[in-house]
Amino acid sequence: MKRYAYYMSCINESMTKEVDRSIDFWQKDLGLEFVKLHEGTCCGGSNLDYVSPKHFALVNARNIALAEKMGLDLIVSCNTCLMTIRTAKKKLDETPALKKEVNDILKKEGLEYRGTSEVRHLLWVLVDDVGLDTIKAKVTVPLKNYRIAPFYGCHILRPSTVLGRDNPLAPSSLDQLIEALGGQTIPFEHKNRCCGFHTLLVAEEESLNVAAEALEEAINAKADFIVTPCPLCHTVLDGYQAKALKQAHIENSIPVFHISEMVGLALGYTAKQLGIKRHIVC
Amino acid sequence: MNSRKELINHFALMTEIIDQHQEGKRDVTFRVFRFNPQVDSKPYFDDYTISAERGITVLRSLNYIKEHVDPSLSFRAFCQAGICGSCGMRVNGTSKLSCTSQVWDELDKCREPGIIKVEPLRSMPIIKDLIVDMDPLVDKMKRYSNWIDSTMPLAEMGKKEFLVSEEEFHRYDKATDCILCASCVSECSILRANKEYVSPAVLLKSYRMNVDSRDSIHDVRLAELVKDHGVWDCTHCYRCQESCVKSIPIMEAIHSIREDALECRGPKDTSGAKHAEAFMEDIEKKGKLVEATLPIRTNGVVWTLRNLLPMAMKMIVKRRTPPPPPLVKPAKGIKIFRAMFREMSEHVKQDHLKSHKK
Repeated sequence: MKRYAYYMSCINESMTKEVDRSIDFWQKDLGLEFVKLHEGTCCGGSNLDYVSPKHFALVNARNIALAEKMGLDLIVSCNTCLMTIRTAKKKLDETPALKKEVNDILKKEGLEYRGTSEVRHLLWVLVDDVGLDTIKAKVTVPLKNYRIAPFYGCHILRPSTVLGRDNPLAPSSLDQLIEALGGQTIPFEHKNRCCGFHTLLVAEEESLNVAAEALEEAINAKADFIVTPCPLCHTVLDGYQAKALKQAHIENSIPVFHISEMVGLALGYTAKQLGIKRHIVC
Repeated sequence: MNSRKELINHFALMTEIIDQHQEGKRDVTFRVFRFNPQVDSKPYFDDYTISAERGITVLRSLNYIKEHVDPSLSFRAFCQAGICGSCGMRVNGTSKLSCTSQVWDELDKCREPGIIKVEPLRSMPIIKDLIVDMDPLVDKMKRYSNWIDSTMPLAEMGKKEFLVSEEEFHRYDKATDCILCASCVSECSILRANKEYVSPAVLLKSYRMNVDSRDSIHDVRLAELVKDHGVWDCTHCYRCQESCVKSIPIMEAIHSIREDALECRGPKDTSGAKHAEAFMEDIEKKGKLVEATLPIRTNGVVWTLRNLLPMAMKMIVKRRTPPPPPLVKPAKGIKIFRAMFREMSEHVKQDHLKSHKK
């Protein structure tokens, strides 16, 4: 059994509960054990870093230190949390004075940020640690009749100086996972593009235009569904889909799945069990 | 018999490819975007196949095509050394300088083997073929006053010198590397969605001017930057930074403008500022984001009801609404977390006092 500390993203505890729920169904099947970090706090969602860079360093040093205390790597299932926590880690590792200042405060909780735990995405654990061959061997319901559009989202790819797992111009990990589950990936120009989530409340029209472009390409390519490793991308592409497509004068719809749900389906769990019925488009 | 002949042909072809590769020379097709708005009703692509040597750049290939194959092909270029920023274009779908793009490297990125696609930069009007109109970008540079308006009175000019500390210089050193190639402009997600958006190159330049102690119009520039289509409309996609031919951390500059806006104009100044500040409040209070009230805190009740009510109804039916504030469970160990968070607030206060004294 491979053990990891599991970071609980705010959105997965509120709007996209189905992510953690579906992981709970299949983690043991793939020889994984995710220990949930109930003490973890919000990473700052790509905002705290400029509101207060020092608080940003503190909260994320603490998030990582909680995993380090258990001697485990920190696994994240939201792209923005991944990018945010990795950005903080890079800053802390490169700035000894900041690391010291943060550690002097963390002492109060008996914690220390050392920089020994890696911060990784669930998708990377599946492809790199579990391995495609093991996943293939565990599949009971191959997704063989499905044409699937892989939507990576931004913060699992960019900035590449912080992420570094996939080539941001030609990412492949999600495509590989789809194929290991027996599905067919379709050529998808928008695979490494933006969903518009981070400006939904500030520049809604622009955000919806950004989302509509990706949805339109997947619809025109006759994909059966879009799959994304990010619950924020999912929220836009699923929750705001009707609004985005209406704005772009497109009369159609397309389901959007989380990677955790796609894995669950191929391992034999039902759409109802995995929470797919809770999507706005299904 | 047929299959034997095919096999021989196949080997002949393979030998030719291997020979070419060893010689460092091979036939490459450039599929180039063509459009002359004065003549053509719509854009089209022309294929040019030339024999290219290892080490040749995309720009040299285009020069060869213009000189020897098709003199009507139009593109901008000057220094051929990655300094002037004139030859920005999209090569195999990515905005970059053609003069620093190696044909051999691009061959690995082709969607169709052996065919390099060359297109003009996006989000800018096309003048002809690969030449785009830079005027909208220049106009935005003007709108956001992206020049130094000196703090030194005119009478003292030339008599006194400006002393810039090393620490200050490092704050904008990297930003001054920008050669205005507009690759970031072409890659920007929001500009693609709305041409009014300020754009990353303009934000970078505004940052560079705003951190310069010799400049006197910081507040005028900042007031413009926080308006609609300004700094808060950036969606953090990092495409600008990723495509920057000079590896400038453009997002850091954008974040710095936002940090400056929060400090100088206050957290309640704009919806963008209110949205950002909400993260800080929630983390201190609960360690978790209170998503249910985020739209109201960002844009007020009226906006939220008008824009989000139909979607909220759907979410209620599907049981995916975020919990109301009292039901958001604080992170485990929140008391000690809060104490540490507030201790850091004291550090930040001290830092501000020190920097203001300076």
